[in-house]
Amino acid sequence: MALKEVLLAPEGERYAQVAKARAMTPDALIAELQAANLRGRGGAGFPMGRKASLIDRGSAKPKYLVVNADESEPGAFKDRQVMAEHPHRLIEGCLIAAHAIEAKDIFIYIRGEYLAVYEILQAAVDDARATGIFGDVEVTVYRGAGAYICGEETALLDSLEGRRGQPRPRPPFPPVQGLYNAPTQINNVCTIATVPTILELGAEEFAKTGVESSPGTAIFSISGNVVSPGNYELELGTPMRELIYDHAGGIPDGRTLKAVIPGGSSVPALTPDQIDVPLDYDSLAQLGTFFGAASLIVVDDRCCMVQLALRSTKFYMHESCGKCTPCREGTRWMVQLLEKIEAGDAEHSDIDLLRSVGDRILGKSLCALGDFAVYPVASYIKHWGDEFAAHVEHGGCPFEGSSSLEGIVAPSDAHTHHPVAEVPA
Amino acid sequence: MNFADEVREIAKQYPDARSATLPALRLAQERHGWLPPDAFREVADALGLTPAYCKAVASFYDMYHLEPVGEHLVEVCTNLSCALSGAQKVVDAFESELGVRAGETTDDGDITFRTVECLGGCGYPTVVAVDNRYRQFVKPEDVPSIVEMVRGA
Amino acid sequence: MSAAETVTLTVDGVEVTVPKGIGLVEAALQAGIEIPVFCYEPRLGPPVGACRMCLCEVAPGPPKPQAACTLTAADGMVVKTAKTSAMAAEAQNATLEFILVNHPLDCPVCDKGGECPLQDLTFRYGPGNTRMEFQKRTFEKPIPISPTIALDRERCILCYRCTRFSESVAEDGQLVAVNRGASSMIATFEDEPYRAPFSGNVVELCPVGALTSTQYRFEARPWEIQQVPTVCGLCPVGCNISATTREGKVKRILSRNHPEVDEGWLCDKGRFAYSHLRADDRIEDPLRKVSAHRFEPLSWGDALDEVELLLRWAGSSIVTALSGGETVEQAYGLAKLLREGLGAHAAVMPEPVPDALDAFRAPLSAIRDAPAVVVLCDEPVVERAPVVDLWIRAARRNGARVLTEIPEERIDGVVLISDDADRCAWFARDLGAAAAYYLPRTPNGRGVVDAWSAASEGEPVDGEPKLMIVSRDLAAADPSVRALAERAEKVIGIGMFEASFRGLADLVLPATSYLERDGTTVNLEGRLQRQRRTVVGPCPDELAWIAKLAERFGVAVSPYASTTFEEVAGRCYGGISFADVSDQASLPARAESAAELAPPPSTRVAEGPGLRLVAYTPLFSGAAVERTPELAFLRPDGEIELAADDARARGIANGDAVTVRSNGTSRALRARIVRDLAPGVTRIPRDDAEGLHETVEVSK
Repeated sequence: MALKEVLLAPEGERYAQVAKARAMTPDALIAELQAANLRGRGGAGFPMGRKASLIDRGSAKPKYLVVNADESEPGAFKDRQVMAEHPHRLIEGCLIAAHAIEAKDIFIYIRGEYLAVYEILQAAVDDARATGIFGDVEVTVYRGAGAYICGEETALLDSLEGRRGQPRPRPPFPPVQGLYNAPTQINNVCTIATVPTILELGAEEFAKTGVESSPGTAIFSISGNVVSPGNYELELGTPMRELIYDHAGGIPDGRTLKAVIPGGSSVPALTPDQIDVPLDYDSLAQLGTFFGAASLIVVDDRCCMVQLALRSTKFYMHESCGKCTPCREGTRWMVQLLEKIEAGDAEHSDIDLLRSVGDRILGKSLCALGDFAVYPVASYIKHWGDEFAAHVEHGGCPFEGSSSLEGIVAPSDAHTHHPVAEVPA
Repeated sequence: MNFADEVREIAKQYPDARSATLPALRLAQERHGWLPPDAFREVADALGLTPAYCKAVASFYDMYHLEPVGEHLVEVCTNLSCALSGAQKVVDAFESELGVRAGETTDDGDITFRTVECLGGCGYPTVVAVDNRYRQFVKPEDVPSIVEMVRGA
Repeated sequence: MSAAETVTLTVDGVEVTVPKGIGLVEAALQAGIEIPVFCYEPRLGPPVGACRMCLCEVAPGPPKPQAACTLTAADGMVVKTAKTSAMAAEAQNATLEFILVNHPLDCPVCDKGGECPLQDLTFRYGPGNTRMEFQKRTFEKPIPISPTIALDRERCILCYRCTRFSESVAEDGQLVAVNRGASSMIATFEDEPYRAPFSGNVVELCPVGALTSTQYRFEARPWEIQQVPTVCGLCPVGCNISATTREGKVKRILSRNHPEVDEGWLCDKGRFAYSHLRADDRIEDPLRKVSAHRFEPLSWGDALDEVELLLRWAGSSIVTALSGGETVEQAYGLAKLLREGLGAHAAVMPEPVPDALDAFRAPLSAIRDAPAVVVLCDEPVVERAPVVDLWIRAARRNGARVLTEIPEERIDGVVLISDDADRCAWFARDLGAAAAYYLPRTPNGRGVVDAWSAASEGEPVDGEPKLMIVSRDLAAADPSVRALAERAEKVIGIGMFEASFRGLADLVLPATSYLERDGTTVNLEGRLQRQRRTVVGPCPDELAWIAKLAERFGVAVSPYASTTFEEVAGRCYGGISFADVSDQASLPARAESAAELAPPPSTRVAEGPGLRLVAYTPLFSGAAVERTPELAFLRPDGEIELAADDARARGIANGDAVTVRSNGTSRALRARIVRDLAPGVTRIPRDDAEGLHETVEVSK
């Protein structure tokens, strides 16, 4: 069976699947979700049904459902469209998922910058509540306040508890000890918004769509150097080439493709010869990258990869929460090294040092943010190492001001200390 | 309703009143325009927290202003997708139109201009947020009219 | 332990069986293997996994290094530390490299140098050189975050131990991390001083030289100092401490974790007030009054002659005021001299502790594990017995109900804490409490009462006293003691500071501080603990001259605390030896008491619009604190505590200036809203409460 649009299709009868779900026992509903094998669309790709099955429903504490609407991964803008255009689809999914884990409280954590979307979503929640469909369930929309790390699920929980949004060590995992230390299910917007379709089609039918290891559709956000950037909902397994050239219209201005960052800015980039890869979790993993947030950033040949690395790393440095050592100190060091390389002041050994610093962050930070800073940069050095070396040999950027990222600007410092003096190390 | 009562009302939505810290800080910022020391004291008193705690939380998030800002806030996304599509030139245009550098406020206190991280509009570059309302596909040539509109608002 | 309660795992090839539920760091330690840590500190609550120093190779688990501090030991687990795993060694080396990237490496001028975990771990696991060549983060430094603590943000490795202490142990919420990522730093609100009773603990928790004591800065190097184990003598908790001494001077006080008493926490009075030892008005020689407010020194020979004459003249017409600040041995020696030698049995004693409470004796740590804690205290617990306040907070965090009134229903395992001895004893029985703690006013009141009774069974004779003996500054400050002294013809003082005895005593003999004497004290639990002479004081030990004087009256008093203790112990402590009072003393067994108790009067509730005033003695007051300039900022600052409801009803906000009125007296104070205060009650420090009656009206 082919599935076209699930998330972006016009809405049918609202909340039709809620009654169906509520007629099922939570166990049966979880079994159905597990059978559908819907993999989380937030980034990690963990099966949603399995997550629900891990909820400690025997706990005397309340159970919570939390929707991760903190979409902050550079390159991703699909949750925003789903919430803006079909908020009731998300709310319907929430009510179904809440029934599965026996949660009475649902929190939708939406990033603070999405003001207009928040207003739409809040109005939809109020409308839905007025129809009585909530029953004894309450839905609360919670606004973040500008911190990428809150997309990390445990950091999100800390933020939702009114704290600095810093990740927690795991274990304990949220299904056992999540929000307010109670069992908590956390899913991305697109994951939850797909749940009504699973009920509508039945898990068996749903599982037949997409590819076997990743059923269903996904919204792919595509941006950067393409003719028609935007969100495209496609079945999993669609070739990347089809998305870039058929749907997004290919590379503009007669330029050529240089790199694709397939899952949002945090994942290793692919080279033009790799774009026939089917867009699903396992196929991308085989190429050493990640499906991530299904958000492709397309880069054409005008871009200096050192500048790309620098801009990307500045982002992760800016967003590092500061809790763990490797990420806090390592991202700053990486930025310093990349600035030196871009300025033409580096030796070849500095590129080795950059790689080594990356290796020393990788796998050692408390959450994945440290890895996110390293993955792309390591891949740029791996595939475009000549360009890094050229900076050394050329004594500066070989693009000589013509790179599309020339003059890149980092974010204004929102809050920082004011150093009294700069002293050499 | 006075501030403390309003905050306590918000706190009732949550199993733990501490969750109201972020909304309360936002509310305080709306009232003061930014978060002066007194704002932290007010939030702390209303929620039974300490001002230090409230400031620790606020300083973690980019949307809280710990220093005074202009009447209006203009923010330009400079992350990868916008940057690949020319966000730097939009930043340049704002800087020359406003006569301030990113991170600064115009002399008349009207507009604070800053560059920010990804706003989640990567498909519609360059994204500019004016008082948190997005404008998409902004080109350098659109900047004068945006500034004029903001100043007129 | 049965197999069901243990797990067996392998650490660096060593198989070790440990209790179920313990962390990997402790499990490895049981195998004799160190897993290095910075942020990990179980006393601060659940692990946070922040510093990444403890990364180890752990199977089963993902194929990357795991933070051992956040893992629980499990059956069959195979753990490899840096000793046996290249992955772990690389990870730990990486962590240290990152920590040092922005660390100033100013060890030669750092107070922590030589006793610094960062130095030690870098030596053992870190890189030998630096690959960092860029500008390090710089900060203004050092910043005094209070008069007692300096913060060097460049040295800070952001392990968050200090902020976790502030948030999750002391719960004062004043020391926080601000900003994010590489800009994160430790701060107080608007650079206001960290004003809280337990702030000094962060200095000890800091694993680097970021938080240092202003008193100790540049005072000593670790190889020049001695650590002398002793027990704090400033409140009835008796926290176990080490005195750091250099060249015969106390330079610093550190906690010495007694898990049942203090869990390694110390209040700022216990930590910082030691500088009173060198106060300007410290009495070093015997003094004789020459005019109303002036003393002159005299020799010990003359002084003892004069005391002897006074004692012989007064005979049994002596009243002795004991402060509860003496050691058991000092009190006993004095009692034996006066009672056996002169028949002078009259004494003003520190408040007695009912024997009935011995049946409810338990370590303070039992509070933490109780399902419910009833706190029947007019005065704030923290002001009387500071560390008890931390135990109550720990109980609350563990899920205990903390009640300030007698519960209507029976609660199994409830513990009781009270600042009223009779109420404590009565309700301990009435509630069937699992444990009860009376919080006395004085550090060693129990021991002093024991010692006085052990010396003789004689009864005082009636009549006006001719001579009054006032033992220690605490007694000299007591208005009732002073009133009694007015009626005596002559007064002998024994004390540390001239100011305490001006206008009071005719003759003053110098006293030692609790840091300058050997002996024992009994804390509020009933635990006998050992105080040691950490430094030689400016005057001889009291027991030395008491023994000499006793000899003149044909009474045998040993000048040695050990001998004197054994004499007392034979009479009231089951004959234990001095050596048995170890540096980590245990609690004696419970003793049942058949004593009849009378029901205490019910609590007074103010009538009408007024509030019932409780005047309390603040923790940061008294002779020692007054002589420690660094603690001046902690002394009460004209504050009145109000319950939240009472404040709201009067339209009073935190920090508002309020007027307190009663019976024609009025006082301007600043409101502080306190959440655990019972409605209808207000609290004011004793000095500010002078002249106010029991019921006060408070308005803006």
